[in-house]
Amino acid sequence: MQFNRILKKIIRTGVGKSRYWMAIIGLGVAMLLILVAVQVHTDFNELLHGSRNENERADYLVVNKKITNDMMGKPGQTVFTPEEQKDFAAQPFVEAFGPITAAQFNVQLQADQLGFSTLAFFEAVPDTFLDVKSEEWKWKAGDQLLPIVVPRDFVNMFNFGFALGNGIPQFSETSIQNLTPEVVITQGMQQAKFLGKIAGFSDRISTVLVPQSFMDWANAKFGSGEVKLPSRVVIRVKDPSSLELKDYLEKHGYSTDAEKTKYNKIRGIVQTIVSVVGFFGLVLLMFALLVFSMFIQLVISSCRKEIRLLVTLGASPRRLQRYLLGQLVPVYFVTGVIALIVVAAAQFWASGVLEKHGMYVAPWPGVLTFAATLGILALVYFVNWTTVRKEIQAHT
Amino acid sequence: MQIELSAVVPVPLRDRIRQRPSDIWDREVAFQPRQFVKIKAPSGTGKTTLVHYLYNIRYDYTGTIKADGKPWAQYSPDQLAAIRQQTISVVFQDLRLFDQLTAEENIELKRVMIPQPIYSAEKIREFAEVLGVTHVLQQSAATLSYGERQRIAIIRSLMQPFQWLMMDEPFSHLDEANTAKAARLIEQECRARNAGFILTDLDHDQHFPYDVTYQL
Repeated sequence: MQFNRILKKIIRTGVGKSRYWMAIIGLGVAMLLILVAVQVHTDFNELLHGSRNENERADYLVVNKKITNDMMGKPGQTVFTPEEQKDFAAQPFVEAFGPITAAQFNVQLQADQLGFSTLAFFEAVPDTFLDVKSEEWKWKAGDQLLPIVVPRDFVNMFNFGFALGNGIPQFSETSIQNLTPEVVITQGMQQAKFLGKIAGFSDRISTVLVPQSFMDWANAKFGSGEVKLPSRVVIRVKDPSSLELKDYLEKHGYSTDAEKTKYNKIRGIVQTIVSVVGFFGLVLLMFALLVFSMFIQLVISSCRKEIRLLVTLGASPRRLQRYLLGQLVPVYFVTGVIALIVVAAAQFWASGVLEKHGMYVAPWPGVLTFAATLGILALVYFVNWTTVRKEIQAHT
Repeated sequence: MQIELSAVVPVPLRDRIRQRPSDIWDREVAFQPRQFVKIKAPSGTGKTTLVHYLYNIRYDYTGTIKADGKPWAQYSPDQLAAIRQQTISVVFQDLRLFDQLTAEENIELKRVMIPQPIYSAEKIREFAEVLGVTHVLQQSAATLSYGERQRIAIIRSLMQPFQWLMMDEPFSHLDEANTAKAARLIEQECRARNAGFILTDLDHDQHFPYDVTYQL
């Protein structure tokens, strides 16, 4: 300890004070920028994928081809060919892929209890894509009861749009499930009747669904016999806002529920901003390291005679390195801790503000932020250590 | 520690050395532990150069110098530091004090440089008393007379354990009385450590009971 007190008189670190503070301030700002970039990245991921922010509809997307003016009247152009299906299903962001089978027959629903009858349509998806788990969701040839899943939106449309306007009473979901409308399917002269049973309401797929087994049977019986390609497909994705998905859809002219993928755009913007901030942080960090190295070189070369004499008298170069580093490390360690505290405070504040808007992020900085702090400090230490070692060796 | 010289010739003095005989240059010489060695040399024959070679801070020679059987070149910086803290001490002709420190701090630096100081801080005052430099201890080394600086450098060299003490004209600016005091102190400290010394000077002298004398 006493030795260091005397060293302090011999090795004057005051010679580059302005450079020293420039380096410290640069390091502080650089760390702040990098930590903010890392933290925003973490927060945005949490907003998208965190369990508290999860949106039920978000994982399943119904995709179809955009119908352009050119394609009108050419249904062959709106279907997904087997190659397209295969390619789509093979994309890394697609967790599951299922074609939506359209009916090749006409459907009429007659609800006698309500005194109304309507034309309708059926589609079918593989059972795994359905968010309605019901014991009733099965059909085999000969069954009279036909389970149907309707989109929850339909119930709302009926209750708040159709029913009010036409003087029909509104129905609760349970009472609708008790209805058994007559289902008449026709194709040409052929006709078949079933008793419809609302098995559930889906938030996921906006269409009227029947079991795949029924669809296969009915299409075989009433259809033209040739295999029709699907014009809509349903996919399960981990992240509906992923940019790869957006790019893929755009490239192939597919469209899907824009509401579900609206985060794409925001995410793109946020990612760009975060990258730019992070980039500036890194550039600044490099400059800070450069100034640090210059400061060290200046200090050491300004007392190279003294260092040489110290070594001549028996001071070990390693000890002088330790002493010099010991003059620097506490300061930039404190700088790092201050930067981390500032980011933590900002995060705490942001988490409070976001919560009011129904968006949940952790009130503490993420693990990645802490790791980044440690990483940067380790890098600064390493660069300084190398510089000190090199300079001391050069002067002894 | 045994120090051996084998055909050592300083490169800058090569031609001059060939013209006149020397007991050291271009010979096989071994300094045995605990010996009091005097090296007498006229000016310009490489006295200071030899001390620097023996202390391993100058390397422009041919031949080899071995410490404990190992050439200086094979010692690492850390090993050299350890040797300069524990085994070999030195009084340079140009003294080499830090001007920005006081006389006492210059001595103290050497005392606390070793992990476990062998002497307490009071020893500095005690030695200063013996050599008559107590009154300058608090002064900046830059303001001292040459004789005072010389005595400070001697005290500094005695603040560490050693087996060899190298001294390059250590009494050149001291009067008879002060030289005698300094010599007594050095001899006492060498005996206490069971150590030897190598002293270079221009002339013959009776300051120490020398074991060997070489003509450079």
